[in-house]
Amino acid sequence: MSQEEVTQVQVRFVTQQRKYAVIDSAILVPARLKRYGLSEIVNHLLGSENPVPFDFLIEGQFLRTSLSEYLENAGLSTENLITIEYVESMLPPTPMSSFQHDDWISSVKGFSQHSLFLTGSYDNYVRIWNTSGECVSTFRDHTAPVKDVAWLEVDETQATCLSASQDQSVLAWQYSFSSDDQTVLYECKGHKASVESVAVDPSKQHFATASWDSTIKIWTSSIPTEDETDYVEDARHKRRKTHKTDDRKSKSAASTLEGHVGPVSSVVFDSQDANALYSGGWDHSVRIWDVEQRVNVSTKVMTNHDVNTNRIQNCEKVVYGIAHSPHSKLLASGHADKTVRLWDPRADDVTVVKLTLISHTLWVPTVSWSPTSAYMLVSGSYDGTCKLWDIRSKAPVYTIAAPLVAKGEATKKVFTVDWEGERILSGGEDCQLRIHSAKM
Amino acid sequence: MKRVRPVPKAAPALQPPPKANKKPNATKPFVSVAIARAPSTTIGKSNGRPSASITPKRPLKQQSNSLEHGEDSDDEEFGDVTIDMGPDEEGDDDSEQEGDDEDFEDEEDFEGSGNDEQEVFPIGEDDDEKSEVNSAGREEDGSETEEEDGSETEEEDGSETEEDDYMPGDSLDEEELKEEDLEKVAMSNDNGAYKKKLLPEIDPVYDSDSSTEDVTNTVGNIPLEWYNDYPHIGYDLDGKKVLRPAKGDELEKFLATMDDPDTWRSVTDREGKEVVLNDEELDIIRRLQEGAIPDAGYDPYEPTVEWFTSKVEVMPLTAKPEPKRRFVPSKWEAKTIMKIVRAIREGRIVPRKTTAQKPSYYNLWTNDDKPREDHIMHIPAPKMRLPEHDESYNPPAEYLPTEKERQEWEATDREDRPRNYLPMKYSSLRSVPAYNRFIQERFERCLDLYLAPRVRKNRACIPSCYYLYSFGRILSTISHNTTTFLFYWNQQLNIDPESLIPKLPSPKDLQPFPSTLSLTFIGHTNRIRCFSIDPTGLYLLSGSDDNTLRMWEITTGRCLHTWNVDDIVHFVAWNPNRDLWCFAASVGHGRVVVISPPEACSPELAAVTDVYLRAGFAPIKGSVDGEKDKAVKWAKPTEQEEEDGYRLVIQHSQSVKQITWHRKGDYFATVAPDAQNLAVLIHQTTKHQTQSPFKKLKGLVQRALFHPIKPIFFVATQRYVRVYNLMKQELVKTLQTGVKWVSSLDIHPGGDNVIIGSYDKRLCWFDMDLGVKPYRTLRYAIYLSVHIPNPMRLWIHIRIYLCHTYIPSYHSQAIRQVSFHRRYPLFASCSDDGSLQIFHGMVYSDLLQNPLIVPVKILRGHEVVNSLGVLHCEFHPTQPWIFSSGADGSIKLWT
Repeated sequence: MSQEEVTQVQVRFVTQQRKYAVIDSAILVPARLKRYGLSEIVNHLLGSENPVPFDFLIEGQFLRTSLSEYLENAGLSTENLITIEYVESMLPPTPMSSFQHDDWISSVKGFSQHSLFLTGSYDNYVRIWNTSGECVSTFRDHTAPVKDVAWLEVDETQATCLSASQDQSVLAWQYSFSSDDQTVLYECKGHKASVESVAVDPSKQHFATASWDSTIKIWTSSIPTEDETDYVEDARHKRRKTHKTDDRKSKSAASTLEGHVGPVSSVVFDSQDANALYSGGWDHSVRIWDVEQRVNVSTKVMTNHDVNTNRIQNCEKVVYGIAHSPHSKLLASGHADKTVRLWDPRADDVTVVKLTLISHTLWVPTVSWSPTSAYMLVSGSYDGTCKLWDIRSKAPVYTIAAPLVAKGEATKKVFTVDWEGERILSGGEDCQLRIHSAKM
Repeated sequence: MKRVRPVPKAAPALQPPPKANKKPNATKPFVSVAIARAPSTTIGKSNGRPSASITPKRPLKQQSNSLEHGEDSDDEEFGDVTIDMGPDEEGDDDSEQEGDDEDFEDEEDFEGSGNDEQEVFPIGEDDDEKSEVNSAGREEDGSETEEEDGSETEEEDGSETEEDDYMPGDSLDEEELKEEDLEKVAMSNDNGAYKKKLLPEIDPVYDSDSSTEDVTNTVGNIPLEWYNDYPHIGYDLDGKKVLRPAKGDELEKFLATMDDPDTWRSVTDREGKEVVLNDEELDIIRRLQEGAIPDAGYDPYEPTVEWFTSKVEVMPLTAKPEPKRRFVPSKWEAKTIMKIVRAIREGRIVPRKTTAQKPSYYNLWTNDDKPREDHIMHIPAPKMRLPEHDESYNPPAEYLPTEKERQEWEATDREDRPRNYLPMKYSSLRSVPAYNRFIQERFERCLDLYLAPRVRKNRACIPSCYYLYSFGRILSTISHNTTTFLFYWNQQLNIDPESLIPKLPSPKDLQPFPSTLSLTFIGHTNRIRCFSIDPTGLYLLSGSDDNTLRMWEITTGRCLHTWNVDDIVHFVAWNPNRDLWCFAASVGHGRVVVISPPEACSPELAAVTDVYLRAGFAPIKGSVDGEKDKAVKWAKPTEQEEEDGYRLVIQHSQSVKQITWHRKGDYFATVAPDAQNLAVLIHQTTKHQTQSPFKKLKGLVQRALFHPIKPIFFVATQRYVRVYNLMKQELVKTLQTGVKWVSSLDIHPGGDNVIIGSYDKRLCWFDMDLGVKPYRTLRYAIYLSVHIPNPMRLWIHIRIYLCHTYIPSYHSQAIRQVSFHRRYPLFASCSDDGSLQIFHGMVYSDLLQNPLIVPVKILRGHEVVNSLGVLHCEFHPTQPWIFSSGADGSIKLWT
């Protein structure tokens, strides 16, 4: 013990959070300390009465071991001065509530300002929930399972939503909070297969849909005055025709982006640039599109650079869900090989898997970045868990599992996850919209 | 019986036999007997003269009569010796002789072949006839002696003995008296001579003339009557006359006869001397008179020895004398021998070398074995390793294992231990215990020696795969101690086993291939016989024994639609045309429905499909009904069914086990194995027509498939796969599978390679360019030994990747389905053992390069229910995923 106590490391604590700043001088700390010990030291330096948990980064990587082990691994001696950055540690997400649905939940989107949740379900319905667990509205116009939903515009009085469905249509509909009625603004027709994903650009002027017919269509969000497409006379759709309200206008796509050679499973706009569109599909590629030019700017074929064999390895895995971070400008993609991959769309290099996050045991159909942090993202998987990742660490920070899944009794697939504000929303096969708080 | 009747006394007195009368008597027939046979036989005591002259006598009766009436018949010769033969005996003899007459002819001939001459009288022709033997040399007729055997006289009756008694007294005469005197003297002499006679005076071996020493008449062999007128009868050696012996007159003779009892047996010899015959001579005379063989010791009736006989004897032993030729040296033998002799002299024949005698046993336990002389192919037995320090009973401390090492050593498998002992320390040699593995080690050593190859193989390289294949077979035959075998094999060939591993790529490099279970489609409650994936790869359709058809969304495992079909679903198949949205399903007993699912279908696509499927109804309907009994009936679905997506119903006569679409989606073929000649039917959806492409089908059709590119049709029966050209309507070739029952068939998307699976656990890969035999047959191999030593593991490993034929881990139960991937070089087989096996099957565009087959993955996950495992497997059309459905009612997606 005495020997270890002697082993001390000269460290310097820095932080980017002003409120937690401490003196910028080197201090000697025992090398055996881990995160908790360091956090105690920082709290002691701060002199705060309520200890704040901190995480510590050395060279941009989380410290998950003791200082001495870190030094050993890095090949540094204890003589070196180590600069440790500390950040306020994220608290584990706590389940807040769960809303029961009638069927599998295919997609969920939250709107933090008004604390509303939009869910699409396999029972063909789109629902709007509030935080108290009330189903504010149920939109029943789809004839097939709803695959994706998106908020178009939400204001105090009404909310406009988009829902993409397996019936190959995208419906834009408006819900008025005051009058509690809903109207279909228009029906986007043109896809020849199930529409899997819908994304709204930051300017709210356009939205994009991805379909299994291997196309991406860009639509304007303006309400058409008349039917833009011819209605196909089909005996099979007679009944739907009768149900059709008079005010429903059909809308044709502003443009169609063709390039994927297989079904497109996910599409997302750049959170800053309305002109940039990212899509992932079954052809194992992540494509970047210029919306105005309607061109495929670059195609990122997923390849891993295996350091050991110095060989570019094509993993050939289907991309299911992608998400773009407004802060780190990185793309995260969930795959059919249990992994989450991070891309830098700005890099010219084709093979730019920046990081591969492996912890899930089954497919990862959905990922979502933290709206506030540049490092945090959440992923949902068919293994029934959602995992929180800090890209500065290769291991997941937290794992959110449904109670049954935690017990290992049944595996209910998670189809969708959305990190919105301080909540993480997830839905899946268990027909529960689960809400977890995720405070940074 | 011989009866000698003595002459009555009165008779001699009355009968002085005149000399002149005697002579005519002498002319009587006589027998000159020369005793021929035995040289040992002498002719009486006739002093060695060749012939004895015996005066024949009258018959006995006559004699007796003459004696009785002696006075009457003076003319009768008195002096004749008459020997009366017993009539009884003669009769007996006669009868015997007559009976044996023929038998003795040979003997008589044989005797006749002798040198001595003999005249034979008919013997015993007449009882009364008297044979008279007249001695030629008898000079004096007057001197007649009636011979009478004294001994025989004694044997006579009493009445006759009276006569004997009387006789001496009767025959007294003057002359006889003189003679008697003389004879008395002679008697005295004769007594001595008589005794002498007992001595072997006459040796029968030679002709003794010793009796004639005293008187030697040298007159020669002339008739003595020539000297009748002379006083002498010859000359002696000195030339002096031998005087005639003095003779008394007749009276004297008579008297002498009366006095002398031997008179009857005395005869005069040639010179006139009287010779008294002894008993033997008398016997001989008697025998001669009887005509019998003179020698008493000769038995003419000896048992015959047949030297030469016609009878074939079982035992060819014979005592017959060797013929002479046997003793004459053979000329040819002499020539042969000379030939050999010459060869020996010239050195052409050398004596055989004497080979060293091999010992009948070897001394196994001797220590001083001579080293075997080096043979070119000799491989010395491997030497034992020499002991090292740590094998000492008291090794230095550094050799002793630590506790950790000891545990390690004990934990390792015995076969894997670097040494088979642990160094142990003992204070003294005395405390070292017996080695408990001694016998085991000896045994292993013997096995080592036994299995060591004794032939050096200098092959540097071995055609890798096939050799290994055969080697693998050897391995399977050698069940025990394969380690040793491998060791020597490697040692002798100087080949690193690693180098024999074919340069197959590692499965890691063959990615992607399905490796883990990703999704399970849960919903069916009974076994799922079939499923089909839509050409876009987004939906999956499954048919189950729970009488439902289900359509699933592949990415999520969501069941989008369920059709209740009220019967078992045998097969489903999506239309491969992407512009059409329909599938065909075989339900129950021969009902084939074409369904266009309402889900996941754009209105345009649905419209196109409807038009496509219903096109045939309007124009053809009438003609269908009008035609004669068709194999199938096309029908419209009911209204309710039509709502559910049904578009066509085709009723077959037998249950349809397989449906396969042509790539363009217009035609599809159905296989109903029980329908005999209508087993394979090709339907055209647009025209609602059905044609039977084969008038006659051999065998039970299992599967049928369209060629992915060409107008070629594959029909798999139980044992063969027949390839037909649909355009030319001819049989292209017949693939001989070599399996017992084909279960499934699939064609490589390139069209040149076909795989079939069989219920007897084999998978055959056919390269259509390589002929009709399988290019590779993959089959299950059984591990022989549970305990596999280290090198063995290596080999098993090799064999897995060789996959020439035997794959130890291959399906152990019937293969239900084989499937090619449409894009990736993958194929798979699924089996009743609940596993799927994924193979990398690369087909090269280079015609010279054979397909590469590498097993990459075994997927296990399905439960085996009622000995049914995985019933169907199919690859995803675009992704390297595979789906499998099993008897446990689940469909699994492996990625």
